[in-house]
Amino acid sequence: MRRSLRHYWRGHLAVALGAAVATAVLAGALVVGDSVRGSLAALASERLGRIDYVLAGPRLFRAALADELTSEAGLGVDVAPALVVRGTAGRPDRGTRASGVTVWGIDGRLARLYPGEPRLTFPPRQGSLFPPVLLSESLARELSAAAGDSVLLSFESLSEIPKETLIGRADAERATRSLRLTVAAVLPDRGPGGLRLDAGQSAAANAFVELPRLARALELAGRANALLVAAGGHDVAGTLEAALARRLTVGDLGLEVSIDRGTVVVESRELVLPERAAAGVRVLAQETGAAVSPVLTYLANRLEVGGRWIPYSTVAALDPPAADAADRLVLVDGAPAPPLGEGEIYLNEWAAEDLAATPGQELELTYFSLGPRDELATATARFRVKGVVAMAGLGANGTLTPEMPGLSDAESMSAWEPPFPVDLGLIRDRDEDYWDAYRAAPKSFVGLAAGQALWRNRFGELTSLRLTPSPEVDAAALAARLESELPRRLAPGAQGLSFQAVSALAAQGARGATDFGQLFLAFSFFLIVAAALLTGLLFRLVVEGRAREVGLLGALGFPAARVKRRFLAEGLAVAGLGVAAGLAGAVGYARLLLLALATVWRPAVGTSELHLHVQPLSLVVGGAIALVMVYLAIRGAVASLLRREPARLLAGEIAAAGPAGRARASRWLALVLGLAGLGLAAAMLGSGRGSSPALAFGAGACLLGAGLAALAAWARGGGRRIADRLSRAGVLRLGAQASRRSPGRSLLAAALVASASFVLVTVGAQRGGRHFDVADRASGAGGFPLIAESSVPLLQDLNRPEGRRELGLDEEAAAALDGTRVYPLRLVPGDDASCLNLYRPQKPRVLGLPPELIERGGFSFQASARSLDNPWRLLEEDLGPNVVPAVLDANSATWILKVGLGDDVVLDDEAGKPLRLRVVGLLAKSIFQSEVLISEAALLRHFPSRAGYSAFLIEAPPERAPTLTEALERSLAGFGFDAEATADRLAAFEQVEQTYLSTFQSLGGLGLLLGTVGLGVILLRNALERRKELAALRALGFPVRRLQGLLLAENAFLLAVGLGLGTAAALLAVAPHLREQAATVPWPALTATLALVFATGLAASGLVLRGALPEDLVGTLKGE
Amino acid sequence: MPNDSPRLVVEDLVKEYRLGDRALRVLDGVSFSLDAGESLAVTGPSGSGKSTLLHLLGGLDRPSSGRVRVAGRDLAEMGERELARFRNREVGFVFQDHHLLPQYTVLENVLLPTLAFPRDRPADAAARARELLVRVGLGERVAHRPAELSGGERQRAAVARALVMQPSLLLGDEPTGSLDRATAARVADLLFDLHRELGTVLVVVTHSPEIATRFPRRFELAEGRCAAA
Repeated sequence: MRRSLRHYWRGHLAVALGAAVATAVLAGALVVGDSVRGSLAALASERLGRIDYVLAGPRLFRAALADELTSEAGLGVDVAPALVVRGTAGRPDRGTRASGVTVWGIDGRLARLYPGEPRLTFPPRQGSLFPPVLLSESLARELSAAAGDSVLLSFESLSEIPKETLIGRADAERATRSLRLTVAAVLPDRGPGGLRLDAGQSAAANAFVELPRLARALELAGRANALLVAAGGHDVAGTLEAALARRLTVGDLGLEVSIDRGTVVVESRELVLPERAAAGVRVLAQETGAAVSPVLTYLANRLEVGGRWIPYSTVAALDPPAADAADRLVLVDGAPAPPLGEGEIYLNEWAAEDLAATPGQELELTYFSLGPRDELATATARFRVKGVVAMAGLGANGTLTPEMPGLSDAESMSAWEPPFPVDLGLIRDRDEDYWDAYRAAPKSFVGLAAGQALWRNRFGELTSLRLTPSPEVDAAALAARLESELPRRLAPGAQGLSFQAVSALAAQGARGATDFGQLFLAFSFFLIVAAALLTGLLFRLVVEGRAREVGLLGALGFPAARVKRRFLAEGLAVAGLGVAAGLAGAVGYARLLLLALATVWRPAVGTSELHLHVQPLSLVVGGAIALVMVYLAIRGAVASLLRREPARLLAGEIAAAGPAGRARASRWLALVLGLAGLGLAAAMLGSGRGSSPALAFGAGACLLGAGLAALAAWARGGGRRIADRLSRAGVLRLGAQASRRSPGRSLLAAALVASASFVLVTVGAQRGGRHFDVADRASGAGGFPLIAESSVPLLQDLNRPEGRRELGLDEEAAAALDGTRVYPLRLVPGDDASCLNLYRPQKPRVLGLPPELIERGGFSFQASARSLDNPWRLLEEDLGPNVVPAVLDANSATWILKVGLGDDVVLDDEAGKPLRLRVVGLLAKSIFQSEVLISEAALLRHFPSRAGYSAFLIEAPPERAPTLTEALERSLAGFGFDAEATADRLAAFEQVEQTYLSTFQSLGGLGLLLGTVGLGVILLRNALERRKELAALRALGFPVRRLQGLLLAENAFLLAVGLGLGTAAALLAVAPHLREQAATVPWPALTATLALVFATGLAASGLVLRGALPEDLVGTLKGE
Repeated sequence: MPNDSPRLVVEDLVKEYRLGDRALRVLDGVSFSLDAGESLAVTGPSGSGKSTLLHLLGGLDRPSSGRVRVAGRDLAEMGERELARFRNREVGFVFQDHHLLPQYTVLENVLLPTLAFPRDRPADAAARARELLVRVGLGERVAHRPAELSGGERQRAAVARALVMQPSLLLGDEPTGSLDRATAARVADLLFDLHRELGTVLVVVTHSPEIATRFPRRFELAEGRCAAA
């Protein structure tokens, strides 16, 4: 075998090269997959440093908790506290601004989690005007800032009181805080600078500020809202949660326990006691035998009886406790106050006297109500005065009213600074006197149920629980028990305090939403198949050159199996060498593809941070598959040769005659496929403009199959035509005729070219992109020319003048908004679920659609669970507990989240419970590729603390979009308001698609190129096989050029048939796309590509022919 | 060149092949001439240079020295393309192996030479091809493929192909070598008949004494030289 290998080294070298190309492409594609996964994992790991777990959420807790956890014996963790807020950054002097900035309040404890990064420390403030800030590389670049420059950070103000309550309201001034700082250092994006807790490959815009300074700016000294934990890579989730539960105080849960004259009072710093906390307190109270009295206190703007009124007082809703309770409500006559019936109210003695009210009179209670967009309205409720309670016990008890910032701490009522409008001029001296004596003690009392009906909100329906201990329990002991037991009873996770295993999640996410290995395998399919077929063809060429040897071995009595084994062993040895060389080529090929991904194909991946990572397994798998493919191709070549009789082989005859029945079978196949294609095409035409791409693709594929079958039938058929009309175009006809000589071979060549050109044209026709008619409600933009996001959520309604005023919009911006409509959406931040994110989203972003948007409808549904006029209504359906109907973009669902209709996307709700977002609708090519859409009501049910609106759809005349964008971004700069043309967003998604198409087209093109080389090899085989014939033709006077022309014509015929069939079938397959008015097909580029393929094919053939024609005419004629 | 000069003139033809340092002289000063309507059989043992001589006459090979003139034109002065045109117009070859192309019908095979220079294609080529096929007894087989013909039929088709361009020189290289005796005789008859009818110069290389004796002029090649047989 060694001698054979050496003797036929030229042929074998070509075979080895073919095998090497197949291997390089196959294993290279797998290495690209490794590289993307490896790069994403490395990126995540560099960003997270030693951080394994993160606790981050809406709740504020003691920063000291970090040290307590670090010191927990046996836990072995290193914990850093942080305050994390969203905001914007700007350099007013340079006019640069960046939104979507994450502001981190950190201290030296975070630096411990990045041992290799010395810059993660704040230098002493020497000479610089402002305190230091560390910027991430990408943020510094966006701001054009360097060390020493000053920047202005503006960020969301954090508050424990929910912002969407009367007391928590915040206008533009209260909603944000700002700090002017000096850049101390710029941190690399591949390291702490890139720290982000969600999954995404784009660089994070981070600003790191000293923790105490940020806490002071937020008026949250000593507090934090995030814990970053290094656990040495160990799984400590369970022990960490347990340690947290041990270390949490009631304060960390936002609760306060106090004693009021023998009554234990449990309140919430959030003003409204969350229902879960209330339930926990009730259980403990029951266990200790304490009586529980729930209270809901609210602010009354006015109490009016018979024309007399009291301004601004509090009203408590409670059920009067039992007569023997320490905490009593007693009538002026000393009798215990009986329970209040519906519509009844007690006044305290002071109020009754002020109003000159007597039992039985009607009282009008006026109060503020707050709408869903912070609309402040005045409402009135009418009660009948049931009685007057004494100024004792609960009748004059300031502890019934929770601490209200701006009110409770005021020296006098006229010094109030409430977040709602008050007319301080209405306050009388009497009122001030009451304030001095009783502070915010309620002046009136209604029944609990009546009060809750009026003033409950989504955060709860109580402001305090008052516990009267059982006689044998001391109030102090009860309070102590509550303080120690409550944090353990109330699962920290349910209170929004749970650790996420971020490093493990990042590792999972790094596996990628798309397996680039598989993707490139698919993209390289034609290339791989072409290389394998080419290898087979080349080997066939080698063995056919030795047909006489095979014949001789047969004649000498060698069994066919033994001859076959001999050639297979030779082929395998050559293929093995080729595969080994191909593995080295695979790394080079992968490197080349990564380079392309970082440059020309960058829109597909959005990062240049992809580096080569080679997993030996990928090489082994890739090499093995390539070896098997090449082996099969070689086996086919040997087997076909061994089918010939030795005598014929000895005579140098290698072309086998095809079975006669095949022509008939091919004709039938062509007929069946042709009819099927016509049927599908008719169905497609009948279905109008929105015709199904699947029908069209099916019709195209059928036509392609039918065409190839017809070619097979023609090539295999023994057509008996009298060819006496040979014209001057005879050579072309002769070429066509010559292709019938080896029908199988000709069919293979034409099929290869046809399939590849089918792919090229199908992909190419869709590459022109489309024009987006964003004003069309049925478009992917839903009729909204603009979509916006704000870093700091907006609480007010941009559609109302009051809302615009409170948000601080200037006149120009307000005027720009006239005649437009803004649909605000609530946002639960999470991972980008679009194709722009390479990581597999672990927790996708969620948008809540307000009822008016659901009502409005718009966009186009590709599919929905049920057929409705307005499929958005499906979002409002009740699917049971913890199941929420959701709508997704079809592309994101299919390719990124890998779900379909009826499937669930599961994520944890705010209480740490799994929430199933059930897919009820899929949008066609929409602007919502990054998120999951649910109803606002469902979002608030499961994420109640999500205050305000962070995303906005703006309905406006498209021509006003630029003005509107400029005005809103300027006026709402403090909120980090960023508007984007929906056409741009759609174009960005489209660009990813286009880049993938371009990738596919490029690799398909390479496959086609290899296919044309294969065609050249076929030509060479034909020429060699017919050397004697060609010599005879020369003897008959055919000039060499004429013979070359004859052979070229044969190839041109196959090329033209292949290209023609592939193109026609492809045009049918993409017909629906072509019929879209918005589609712009790059015809010139497409035509040029096909022409180039044709020219390359002919050029390759021409090159092959130069060496194929017999020089030694005499010798050839003699068969030497 | 005057019209009365012989149709084929061979002068002192020498053909040498180089075998390493040595030169092997296959033909050593062969000279003869033939006029239109004349025929010649060349015999001799294997390796005596018979086929080489024929190939030199037909312009398939070039001599080391000496001249071959056909209808007054010296083949040595022709370029490749001119030589190809000469072969196409003036020479008709009949090989031992028929060299018919399997993918074409008999008629198409006969018409093949007319495609070498399509511009010069005789207008009546198809009619002539049919006529020739009738003449060689294949009038009913025009639409058949070579695989469907017998050995003799194939060789008769090859004869028709050789004559379709109305050549002045008909060369046969063992034209009956692969046929049985009876068939060989029939093909030989055909060759003689057509040669006489068309007035061509006929040169046939053969091993067969039966065929050779039918020629009025015969040469025997031995050691590269010819002697009248």
